Amino acid sequence: MITSSPRDLRSRLDFWQALSGAILALFVCVHLVLEGSVVISPEITNTIGWLMEETYVAQIAAPIIILLIVFHFWIAARKMPFRAGELEIFWDHSRALKDLDTWLWLVQVFTAVVILVGAFFHVFTVMADLPITVVESSKRLHMGWWLFYVLFLPCTILHTGIGIYRIGVKFGIIDKARRIFWRKVIWAAMACYLALGICALTRVWLIGY
Amino acid sequence: MQVHYSDVLCMGAGLAGERVAVEAAQAGYKVICLSVVPPRRSHSSAAQGGMQAALGNSVMGEGDSPHIHFNDTVKGSDWGCDQEVARMFAETAPIAMREMAWMGVPWNRVVPGEHTYFKGGKPFQAVEKKEKEGLITSRAFGGTAKWRTCYTSDGTGHAVLFTLDNRMLQLGVEVHDRMQAEALIHDGERCMGVIARNLRTGELEAYVARATLIATGGFGRIYRATTNAVICDGGGQITALDTGIVPLGNMEAVQFHPTGTVPTDILVTEGCRGDGGTLLDVNEYRFMPDYEPEKAELASRDVVSRRMTEHMRKGLGVKSPYGDHLWLDIRHLGEKHITTNLREVYDICRHFLGVNPINQLIPVRPTQHYSMGGVRVNKDGHAYGLKGLFAAGEAACWDMHGFNRLGGNSLAETVVAGRIVGKKVVEFLEGDSMTFKTDSMNQAAAGVQERIDNLRRGTGEDCYTLRNAMQDVMMEDVGIFRNGKDLQSGVDKLQDILERTKNMRLAGKNLKGEDAELGLALRVPGMVRLALCVAYGALQRTESRGAHAREDYPERNDRDWLKRTLATWKPGDSLPTLNYEDATPFFILPPGDRGYGGGKLIPGPEIPADKLVPFDQPEAQEA
Amino acid sequence: MGRMLTFEIFRYNPADPASKPHLQTYTLEEQPSMTLFIALNRIREEQDPTLQFDFCCRAGICGSCGMVINGKPGLACHTQTADLPDRITLYPLPVFKLLGDLSVDTGVWFRDVGKKIESWIHTNVQFDPKAQEERMDNELSLKIFELDRCVECGCCVAACGTARMKEDFIGATAINRLARFYIDPRDKRDAADFYDLVGNDQGVFGCMGLLACDNVCPKQIPLHDQLGIMRRMVTLESVKAIIPEFVRKKLMGCKSIKA
Repeated sequence: MITSSPRDLRSRLDFWQALSGAILALFVCVHLVLEGSVVISPEITNTIGWLMEETYVAQIAAPIIILLIVFHFWIAARKMPFRAGELEIFWDHSRALKDLDTWLWLVQVFTAVVILVGAFFHVFTVMADLPITVVESSKRLHMGWWLFYVLFLPCTILHTGIGIYRIGVKFGIIDKARRIFWRKVIWAAMACYLALGICALTRVWLIGY
Repeated sequence: MQVHYSDVLCMGAGLAGERVAVEAAQAGYKVICLSVVPPRRSHSSAAQGGMQAALGNSVMGEGDSPHIHFNDTVKGSDWGCDQEVARMFAETAPIAMREMAWMGVPWNRVVPGEHTYFKGGKPFQAVEKKEKEGLITSRAFGGTAKWRTCYTSDGTGHAVLFTLDNRMLQLGVEVHDRMQAEALIHDGERCMGVIARNLRTGELEAYVARATLIATGGFGRIYRATTNAVICDGGGQITALDTGIVPLGNMEAVQFHPTGTVPTDILVTEGCRGDGGTLLDVNEYRFMPDYEPEKAELASRDVVSRRMTEHMRKGLGVKSPYGDHLWLDIRHLGEKHITTNLREVYDICRHFLGVNPINQLIPVRPTQHYSMGGVRVNKDGHAYGLKGLFAAGEAACWDMHGFNRLGGNSLAETVVAGRIVGKKVVEFLEGDSMTFKTDSMNQAAAGVQERIDNLRRGTGEDCYTLRNAMQDVMMEDVGIFRNGKDLQSGVDKLQDILERTKNMRLAGKNLKGEDAELGLALRVPGMVRLALCVAYGALQRTESRGAHAREDYPERNDRDWLKRTLATWKPGDSLPTLNYEDATPFFILPPGDRGYGGGKLIPGPEIPADKLVPFDQPEAQEA
Repeated sequence: MGRMLTFEIFRYNPADPASKPHLQTYTLEEQPSMTLFIALNRIREEQDPTLQFDFCCRAGICGSCGMVINGKPGLACHTQTADLPDRITLYPLPVFKLLGDLSVDTGVWFRDVGKKIESWIHTNVQFDPKAQEERMDNELSLKIFELDRCVECGCCVAACGTARMKEDFIGATAINRLARFYIDPRDKRDAADFYDLVGNDQGVFGCMGLLACDNVCPKQIPLHDQLGIMRRMVTLESVKAIIPEFVRKKLMGCKSIKA
């Protein structure tokens, strides 16, 4: 028997938040690796880009991802400190408590806003002048977009890493005994992705010269 | 003044109070519980060890029965207990434990197969039976013939209290916490409730009830070094004593626990010794078997405490800035046992002593622990002298403990007496009607208000100074070993202190709302009166029985003292009036040798045949 | 001679209209093995009898003395001054109603939350005084006690960012309490019942995984593991209609759905 009352729908928000977050995290991980192929050779990246376009994966995925981001944000925003005084309370609380995991949530809130705005610009500019090529990207960087990516890239990686860690913790997948281990693994993974991203950005930047 | 009405009013929401409340609420009566702290913070929660009940499920408890439990209890009491009550207790205990299991207590259970246990520091093997798998298991406690103490790791009091409090939530029993009962409302015949001070607002409120229960626990705080919580100031006993009618029984019977830690006086459970822990002296020599070849560390508490004091007096204690102490050794029990079954002990040692008991010794010495005495009640829990007033638990002198209570018997008493007295309260309510007298209420309230006004006008010493003075007297003159000279000087000094309390001053003056100083100041005169009941009762009792050890009268004197002290306080007096009654209405176990402790005996006259009854009754006790 | 300790203590008497919240400074010489229990009582008895705070068992068992000690919620009675710097700042626990200075009303809060989550065994089985007790595996009883060890001091609630922002969040302690009933076979409630109790943003979904509850718990109860188990159970219950039954049962993992 399938029944769903409005109460069911509301209580499912948490499930949708986790699921959309997980999908987006997966997407970011894959996206960054594909993008990172430029470090080895811009040819590979161009080929991947071409493939994506020819198969219409890019054209279809881009709006879906944007929608997913908006959806994820919209659900998760119910937890954000929007109401009067909430941010202030939380800020004071974090400062007094000096607890890393509590701080990381503020990071999560901040990066969420950056990503929401950033993803829109990122996708819009990329999709506005297809085909996706490394040369086009390089041009954009030299137009001043590098500044955008220097902010956008670490925010995305942080939000993704912390987000995955938190899903693990919240659903009891990462328990107390394994928490420190997983924390290390995730920080290491984030460092690797950041390194890869910076290398890729540098490589693309250099192509423009 | 706000007035609250209920059928039953429980002063105190620890185990005994809540158990009675649950019984009455189950019968459909309106119950209100008063408590100075939120119920789950009651001192019952600190009881670690367990509850004795002859379930006989564990291999070391095999063949146990209420009769054997009864015998242990009577011997433990040094024949000071009421044998009718002790029998009722021993028979009901297994039912009460099972009932608590039904309510949700996670008792430790029998695990079949071979286990390594310890006795006196030496390991031995025993096989738990397959057919007993999953039934409530038990551990060893002092002064018992069988392993009989049911437990949940070392948080038994906590687990049972939380379970009972959950049941209270379920039954919708009202709890008014941060309420300090200050006076009973009565007309000299009938108790009609209490006047309480709201500790949040400082206002007086009246609680009118058909049945009032005193279940406020012990009065250990009349001693400086006590394992009791700071709230264990005898508040309930004081209200009873203040009536001038209701007697307190056996106030001189004060128990010292062998293993209070040094310097914090926090208790580490008897389970440590029950599970195989040993006591060592300055040379790390195990001395208890020299004194008590058979029971060693597991003799009754009064005996172990005295032997420890004796040993330290020989200069074999460990010197420390906080005075002499001895060592408790549980290292051989191993890390797993200590961090699971004795986890609270492990936490206490690490947090408060900076000692890791897995590889270090624990500094311990005998410390005031339990008050066998209290509001004297009959076997139904009904107080002497006032209709409608009941008492249960440590606050009461029901009297199954006599002059020494066995470890695990007090925690068991709370739920067993709670169950029995609860049913009696219900019976009482069924056939009762009360005419409430406004005069009595107003009179009681005026009395309390006058005490408060007096304090505000006072110009003498503050309450802390006077409390400390009283505690020092109790430590010096009314301790483990007592003698006529010290007791007399103690009584004199306490009388002086009582006089000085009349001009007690509030240093904090007119505080609105919460006022901890006023709370204590209202208590101190009553505490000094309780202290006088203890000291004066001890002075008059010229014998040694159980925890009451007179150096000048070392024999247990069954000829003259097989009786219970009843202390009342007439208004205006500076000493209690002492009366005596027979210790027990009949004998199932006639007075004899305890088998430990090595005390001398002055035998009494032979017990007449009509006073001797068998344990088994013609008709079985009502369940 | 010991260190001179400086205590900065939050003072406010809500019952007195003239009282304004402020910090008051006291100095006290440190003694060996001094705890905040000893220090605060000495301050009250020797310097300022108007100072309000709560202690009861003074042995870390009753949970009365939770307060914010140099920024972190903890039990004052088992905090040694030796582990603290020369300056010690004490605030009452936030979230709970302030009664005066360091004293807060945890009792009423916990009673309310206990009623909300129906913190008792739900069963139709009547007690039979003549029958043997129901058997239980010892490992399971130890596990239940492990979750029953919570002393309701309120530290986890005070350390919780969500509880600070949202007044109606029931906190880690309540969810842990419910987890205790979830694993107890005597309690006949099933996943759907628990879902009805805590399947909302005031319950398990309110938790944002900040982990501070876990980090401050004086009893080191793995609160967050319980939150995780309960959240997974309740979430899976919420998507009963969407996810096939066999996947759901598999994901329940730690405990199969109660019969």
